[in-house]
Amino acid sequence: MKKVIIGNHAVSYGVKLARTEVIAAYPITPQTQVVEELSEMCASGDLKARFIKVESEHSAMAACIGASATGARAFTATSSQGLALMHELLHWAGGGRLPIVMVDVNRAMAPGWNVWTDQNDSLSQRDTGWIQLYCETNQEVLDTTIQAFKLAEAVDIPVMVVLDAFFLSHTSEPVDIPDQADVDAFLPKRVARQKLDVDEPHAFGALTTPAVYMEMRLRQQEGMAQAHDAMIAIDAEWGGRFGRSYGPIESYRTEGADLVLVTSGTITSTARYVINQLRDDGQKVGLVKVKMFRPFPTADLRRALGGVKDVAVLDRNISPGHCGIFAEETRAALYDLPDAKRPRVHGYIVGLGGRDVTPDTIMDCIAKARAAAKSAEPEPEDVWVGVKA
Amino acid sequence: MPDDQDRKDFAHGVPTISVSQGSTLANRTGSWKCIQPVYQDRIAPCNAACPVGIDIEGVMNLMRLDRVEDARELLLRENPMPSVCGRVCDHACQRACSRALFDEAVNIHAVERMLGDRTAQPRMSAPPRTRTEHVAVVGSGPAGLACAYHLVRLGYSVTVFEADPEPGGWLRYGVPEYRLPRAVLVREIEFIRAEGVAIQCGVRIGGNLPWKDLERFDAVFLASGARAREGFEWQEQGLLDVRPGVDYLHEVRAGGRGHAGRRVIVVGGSDMAVDCARTALRLGSEPTVLFTAAREEMAADPDTVEEALREGVRFEFFTRVVGLQVSEHPEDEQAIDAIRNMFDSGESAAPGARLVGVACVRLQPEQQAADGSRRTLSVPGSSFVLPADTLLTAPGGEGEEGALPPDLHRRGYILKTDEFGHTSREGFFAGGDLAAEPRTVAHALGSGKRAAIGIDRWLRTRAGDAVPAIEPQALRYGGTGAMSVTRWRGDDPVHRTNELNEVVKFEQLNMAYFQHVAGTPDHHRAPGQSGADFGEANLGLAPDEALAEAKRCFNCGVCNDCELCLIYCPDVAIKRHSSGHGFSLSYKYCKGCGLCVEECPRGAMIMTREGL
Ligand SMILES: Cc1cc2nc3c(=O)[nH]c(=O)nc-3n(C[C@H](O)[C@H](O)[C@H](O)COP(=O)(O)OP(=O)(O)OC[C@H]3O[C@@H](n4cnc5c(N)ncnc54)[C@H](O)[C@@H]3O)c2cc1C
Ligand code: SF4
Ligand code: SF4
Repeated sequence: MKKVIIGNHAVSYGVKLARTEVIAAYPITPQTQVVEELSEMCASGDLKARFIKVESEHSAMAACIGASATGARAFTATSSQGLALMHELLHWAGGGRLPIVMVDVNRAMAPGWNVWTDQNDSLSQRDTGWIQLYCETNQEVLDTTIQAFKLAEAVDIPVMVVLDAFFLSHTSEPVDIPDQADVDAFLPKRVARQKLDVDEPHAFGALTTPAVYMEMRLRQQEGMAQAHDAMIAIDAEWGGRFGRSYGPIESYRTEGADLVLVTSGTITSTARYVINQLRDDGQKVGLVKVKMFRPFPTADLRRALGGVKDVAVLDRNISPGHCGIFAEETRAALYDLPDAKRPRVHGYIVGLGGRDVTPDTIMDCIAKARAAAKSAEPEPEDVWVGVKA
Repeated sequence: MPDDQDRKDFAHGVPTISVSQGSTLANRTGSWKCIQPVYQDRIAPCNAACPVGIDIEGVMNLMRLDRVEDARELLLRENPMPSVCGRVCDHACQRACSRALFDEAVNIHAVERMLGDRTAQPRMSAPPRTRTEHVAVVGSGPAGLACAYHLVRLGYSVTVFEADPEPGGWLRYGVPEYRLPRAVLVREIEFIRAEGVAIQCGVRIGGNLPWKDLERFDAVFLASGARAREGFEWQEQGLLDVRPGVDYLHEVRAGGRGHAGRRVIVVGGSDMAVDCARTALRLGSEPTVLFTAAREEMAADPDTVEEALREGVRFEFFTRVVGLQVSEHPEDEQAIDAIRNMFDSGESAAPGARLVGVACVRLQPEQQAADGSRRTLSVPGSSFVLPADTLLTAPGGEGEEGALPPDLHRRGYILKTDEFGHTSREGFFAGGDLAAEPRTVAHALGSGKRAAIGIDRWLRTRAGDAVPAIEPQALRYGGTGAMSVTRWRGDDPVHRTNELNEVVKFEQLNMAYFQHVAGTPDHHRAPGQSGADFGEANLGLAPDEALAEAKRCFNCGVCNDCELCLIYCPDVAIKRHSSGHGFSLSYKYCKGCGLCVEECPRGAMIMTREGL
């Protein structure tokens, strides 16, 4: 059934179709509508889940951890400062291998107080042991939310589904909402591999000595590697059933391109428009959309970008004192390519704190990349585009 | 750990996480504590307040579970007349209801009424006779009927003797039709009969059946009531127009029209006063009630006063009668001059004289005198005359005693009985208006039940049979409420835990778990209709509304399996009881943090010193 809904409600429908059993959340703009809708679904009985109201995001994640440890399918949603407040518990969830699904609506970090989109909140949680998937459209949000449960439960790693504040969260788009029976066939009830059992209790998160800690981390890392392959398989199965799939990355009109843009989130849609125009002009430009940020799709990017002359990465985030985070990771991924195949990677900082990234902004990035390509001098690692003089 | 052999996935089998090798059951956190919670039901304040002794909380809880038929059964265990009580009882239960301190009391009497009115599954047979003894009951008012009902349910044979042609006492001949329809009363009396109670009407003990004849019974319950007649100083003056209200009501109840004139003055503040006025209104008169103090001080149920006002009954508060005006020729308008104030002259009325007016003064609100006594002063110059054709007296005070065996005397109005209603004469028990009871239907029913327990206890002891070793106090809800026959029988169908006979206080409940929900008040007939005839004035609640009311109940003091303790216990020391009801605590692991005591919404967890 097709419905015109906002991105936040696309999340809610996804969570409902996944037959989530426990929801614990604390409201924060621009996420609030996600759980508001879910609380109504719970109240009306449409969703048979336990909705736990909590006093902070820290408690929300703690409740999800408890629920997930007992074998339940658990969900929460947050944004920005709320996500930051969860930080310690994100490690507990990741290290505890608990398949929780969380939606983060990308919002700038304060100060200055800002509710608009910016990826610094989710990227700050890069090393907590969570899978991160960035979405471009409301349809992708719904599809990814459901897939996320299957992925998380396949590898026992929590998944963060990320969408842009307002551009997705509060913008209505037509979304195809699958039938419950079809989703049930895709995503059966969770079977926990190990769980907290009050009749045979064990201490979870117990003391782990140097003799075993490192192996535990290695297993987590192996799990992340498996997550990459699992994501591809699950996404393909989804595609088979529902006709839509996304992949860890997506190459768009990259055939024969000498310059390829790398984007994530909603900037991708604007970039597609720009690429179409330039291609019509005969320019050889293409686009790679990065959906999966953790585990980082190194091999996919090498395959997609190896041999391209120039790569321009657009980052709606900044690691202060260094550069855009996608650019940094892309450079690192491509560095080991043989000289002949290794592109130059130009990094552009755009759209922080919700500033519009328009076709002109992207054209500006492309022009800068073209100019830099002609120069033998290395460009600075972070070039800021669309800032006032 | 679950077997993952058959799970085909991308991973790895069981992920490596930090989890203890051994079971944490070895860690007996219970050794840390010095205080410990005890899982213990307490008594709801409504249960302790109901003079009948109904397990109201238990009824509400069964309703919450939509077990309406079971709720009715639980109610009938303690009260054979829920339809009557739900209509005429002034519901002390609701004044005690904890919910009144939160938003509005649960409309308990309407729930009771609805359950009573519900058509029940017909019973296959009366309770079996398990005892050989036969008990006589004198009087078929609520006290006598309740005693008989509980006795047959305890296995006895019972015969009720009633002087009137029909059973019911004041319920039949006092309480008017518009408050208690005859059909409702008859249905409940039929129910009591169907339980096996034999009722013989037209038999006056000490009259057409001598007291001596009761000697063939093993025990006797005296419930002959009291008739409040006295208390009006001018009654003896031979005036037909000045009459006890009780006779008026009795006459109307018996099918007559009461012979009152157009302008009816009722003197008094009791339920009877209000009933006289509302009855007169329905018979086409214009009634006025005179009361010596403020409206709030009337003994009558405030709800019925409100209904009377709505219907058009006039009230004159702070008003005292100081004299009657009569005329020997009232039909002659000119003869009004001939009116004499009989009060002033102190003379008796001539035969044929008729009442024409009532002289009154206004009173000041009561003053506290210097010596601490209270005085009522009239307002100087406030005397006035109310035209009147009939004056009905309805005092709220003590009444004339009912029939007593010749050798059983009482001092003043006090017929002394023990805590089981046993009088000074062996084998004679008493209750209701006859005994020292507040004169209400609920107290009458409660005292009948108390005597039934007392008779059972006395007869069993006499026969050398086993008698439950239970203190009278333990039979009463909260130690001071009315007695419960279920407690006496020890066969409560409702699961309870370590019951503590202590009324739970409002402060012991946790209001964080409740939301404000407005109560539903009783429906009434439209003002135009009510008062016009004897159709029922208060219509109660529809079944679904009553069910919703029941669901507002907090279940004060009694665990209703909400599981909050189980959710909050950080040591998983609380588990569901294997019976499926309630919980058990493992003191090996309870470390005495008290979270369960704090969280329990209804005060069913109590903190104690360890070992106590
Ligand atoms: C007009 C009126 C309105 C009232 N309204 C309310 C009200 O709204 N709410 C409330 O709670 N209470 C009300 N009451 C009070 C209530 O009706 C009484 O408290 C209650 O009926 C007392 O019950 P009982 O069984 O003790 O006596 P009764 O109801 O008086 O019954 C005693 C019975 O014993 C019979 N009897 C007497 N002597 C003998 C004998 N020698 N042999 C055989 N039988 C005998 C009588 O005929 C009578 O039937 C009202 C009373 C009146 C009069
Ligand atoms: S008999 Fe009266 S006090 Fe008892 S429950 Fe009924 S209305 Fe309440
Ligand atoms: S809330 Fe329920 S249990 Fe508590 S006093 Fe009121 S009726 Fe009784």
